[in-house]
Amino acid sequence: MNILNLQYEKYKLANGLEVILHQNKSLPLVAVNVWYKVGSACEVEGKTGIAHLFEHMMFQGSENVPKEMHFRNIQEAGGTLNGSTSVDRTNFFEKLPANYLELALWLESDRMGFFLPALTQEKLDNQKDVVKNERLERYDNQPYGLAWELILTNLYPKGHPYSWATIGFLNDITGYTLDDVKSFFKKYYAPNNASLVIAGDFDSDEVKLLIEKYFSGIPHADNSVQKDVHLFKLKENKILTHRDNVQLERLYLAFPTVKVFDEHDASLDVLSDLLAGSKNSRLYKSLVFEKEIAQDVSAFQFSGRFGGHFNIIATAKPGNSLDDLKSEIFKELDLIANKGVNENELVRSKNGIKSGFVFSLQNLEHLADQMNAYNFYINEPNSFAFDLNRYNSVTDSSIVDAVESYLKDPFVELRIIPASNSK
Amino acid sequence: MKLNRTIKPAPSKDLNFVMPSVESFELDNKLKVYFIKKDTLPIVRLNIIINAGNKFDPENKKGLSNLLSMCIDEGAGEFDALQLSEQFDLIGAQFSVYSNSDTLQLIVQTLTENFGRAIELLSMILIDPHLHKNDFEREKRKIITRLKQLQDEPEFLANAALQKYLLGSNNPYSYPTIGKIDNITKITDEDVVSFYNSTVKPGNTFMVVAGAISTEELKDNLSRNFNNWSNTEFRLNISIGTNKDLRKVYVINKKDSVQTEIRVGHHTSGRGSKDYFNKQILNTILGGQFTSRINLNLREKHGYTYGAGSSFNYYKESAYFSVSTSVGIENTANALKEIMFELERIREGVTPEELDFAKDSIIRKFPLNFETYRQVASNFIGKVIFDLPDDYFDTYIDNIKAVILEGVNEAAVKYIKPDVVSIILVGDKDKLKKQLSTDGFGDVIFTELEL
Repeated sequence: MNILNLQYEKYKLANGLEVILHQNKSLPLVAVNVWYKVGSACEVEGKTGIAHLFEHMMFQGSENVPKEMHFRNIQEAGGTLNGSTSVDRTNFFEKLPANYLELALWLESDRMGFFLPALTQEKLDNQKDVVKNERLERYDNQPYGLAWELILTNLYPKGHPYSWATIGFLNDITGYTLDDVKSFFKKYYAPNNASLVIAGDFDSDEVKLLIEKYFSGIPHADNSVQKDVHLFKLKENKILTHRDNVQLERLYLAFPTVKVFDEHDASLDVLSDLLAGSKNSRLYKSLVFEKEIAQDVSAFQFSGRFGGHFNIIATAKPGNSLDDLKSEIFKELDLIANKGVNENELVRSKNGIKSGFVFSLQNLEHLADQMNAYNFYINEPNSFAFDLNRYNSVTDSSIVDAVESYLKDPFVELRIIPASNSK
Repeated sequence: MKLNRTIKPAPSKDLNFVMPSVESFELDNKLKVYFIKKDTLPIVRLNIIINAGNKFDPENKKGLSNLLSMCIDEGAGEFDALQLSEQFDLIGAQFSVYSNSDTLQLIVQTLTENFGRAIELLSMILIDPHLHKNDFEREKRKIITRLKQLQDEPEFLANAALQKYLLGSNNPYSYPTIGKIDNITKITDEDVVSFYNSTVKPGNTFMVVAGAISTEELKDNLSRNFNNWSNTEFRLNISIGTNKDLRKVYVINKKDSVQTEIRVGHHTSGRGSKDYFNKQILNTILGGQFTSRINLNLREKHGYTYGAGSSFNYYKESAYFSVSTSVGIENTANALKEIMFELERIREGVTPEELDFAKDSIIRKFPLNFETYRQVASNFIGKVIFDLPDDYFDTYIDNIKAVILEGVNEAAVKYIKPDVVSIILVGDKDKLKKQLSTDGFGDVIFTELEL
């Protein structure tokens, strides 16, 4: 499809900052999206959560932007903004009326180059408290909220960069000092470890001058960090039980799989859709619709630079056992392995994915972020058509192959069950 | 030349934002259609809005509207439930249906190339749903289990408790859309059919379409699929009781919780109030944004929370103001003290700088509200539901510009009433008891919330 072929310009400043420009004048808006090539995978055991805590610190002001003024300036301009941290990267983004583009470049460049002079103990203490509360709100006080942390720590080998949750452990978060934060900045927050996407309504010549003006004076840093992480298999199944303040029992199955964009990665995505993506998907239809032994079921392939895992999650209806759910799930996986999938299932998934690609272009911010993602993982920002083609190329045999290669091997099984008699 | 980084860049030339225009027309059966042509991408989004939200649930049948929303797509026309869903999947269209307090909505988003088929399927669901007993029983069992699950979710509990205690039992907005367990168990498939028959009528429905399609093609598709949908008589009545605002603290016990989910609220004037824009600016300053007073205080100054905010919440026939946050349980009283402090302080007035900031922010953000197909459709839906003037969006910026300091300050005194707030705390009562005993937040009632 033509609309998935996005025109862009890409170049590098002398200090190593990668710049990607994509013009789209359908609305007078502009999206600014910065990726720093640092995520929780850059952390080590005992020092988890700093990539995410640092994302918070980036909103605490810089040499020429007092605390709160980053937010205030963007909101005053009518813009929206945020940041997020994943295993592989940290991103920061603004979407603004097109005539405020320069404001965003000023703010992003100030915190990229002039963050340290404005750093104080008070700001760090405050954001440690905020992050502690974020952890409470999103993990500890959420029903089933600790599931992912339990799965990651048990699935990935000790020391693997994905063997902890991005939010970090509470003890690690509370322990961070100003020196930790400073050295983290020096190591990872430099133009040569970042890429800047600007998408929307702008004049290309003008914007290049502005980027030069604000970013070229920021020195590059020696930060070549190379990690080489290999795929792994579990030796045997690991079965965990965790009690939580929940009413219904829930089963999680997690299988080690492949890295993002590896062979089988797209097949595993499509498989997850065939299993649990719609009312007619195999597990939904069987567990939720026909047998009514589960209240819900979901499946997804998680994949990043250093590894991946495939997940199947099902919540038991009252009176049904997780053993029953589990045996139905494996029955379905065996069926796929033995009999394959049918053409109609594949067509449905592929058409849904195709629409999804078009729908995803509606939001300029999402589009800019996706260009940064493609650039980061496969060094080509305009990979929408290539990516869709990955899914279109999935076949019956590639799915069977993926099931045989990964879902027949040892896995982690987590059972979350109601804490006894608690209300 | 060295760059002087202390200078904040000014905006470049003024923007040229053209508000999307809306066309409206009626089908032969009086079904009203609002169409916003938007062809940035080959997408069409169509919303069907039926005046059949849970506020119309009869007494002792709370949960009926939601049950209809769960059942209406479980088979229609020539297809059973699974086949129908498969038909949408085959064209890669996203279909959804849900109820809220005021309306029942059916939504389809599709590539333009599949619009014709999507409309056929949608019209089947709307005009010819099966509403079979076996499908009904299955969906009902699903809802009953869902209600059990919701007991785990602190945010849901806090919102439900606020609606219940603030709005009072004689207000049909005072319970969640999903309904009440002891009512749901008694609802029958015949109730659902009769609710469908009394509400899903062209004269009780409107349609909002945003998409890359011509008016002719749209009209053609709509009349082909919807014209023989008959518009028989229907009658819907509700009465809204009043509940006096009183300062009270309700502690909803959630054993072993590590946080307290906090809501603080009272009634407010409706969406059509002449003070609407004053209130909107007021709330932007108080708690509508990241940089609003409440969040800066609770999060950025004290570190009590990951986020805190306030809002004026509007239903068609009811409205309330609320502050929401969640905090580490040991900071509950501290956080509550700061919330009450901010509610008192805003009544002393806002500064001209705060006023300008809020106005600039809202005015400049205006084009961002019309980016996606969903945003465009939602904005027009809100306009129709609340009977806003035809030129509402054309005059929106002027209305914001016209807000002055005195108006906001008067609104603060009139519409922020810390003396009569209902305070909801969802958390472990044993950990909360001690904190609440020493501070004068009001009479404390310890209770469990029956869903």
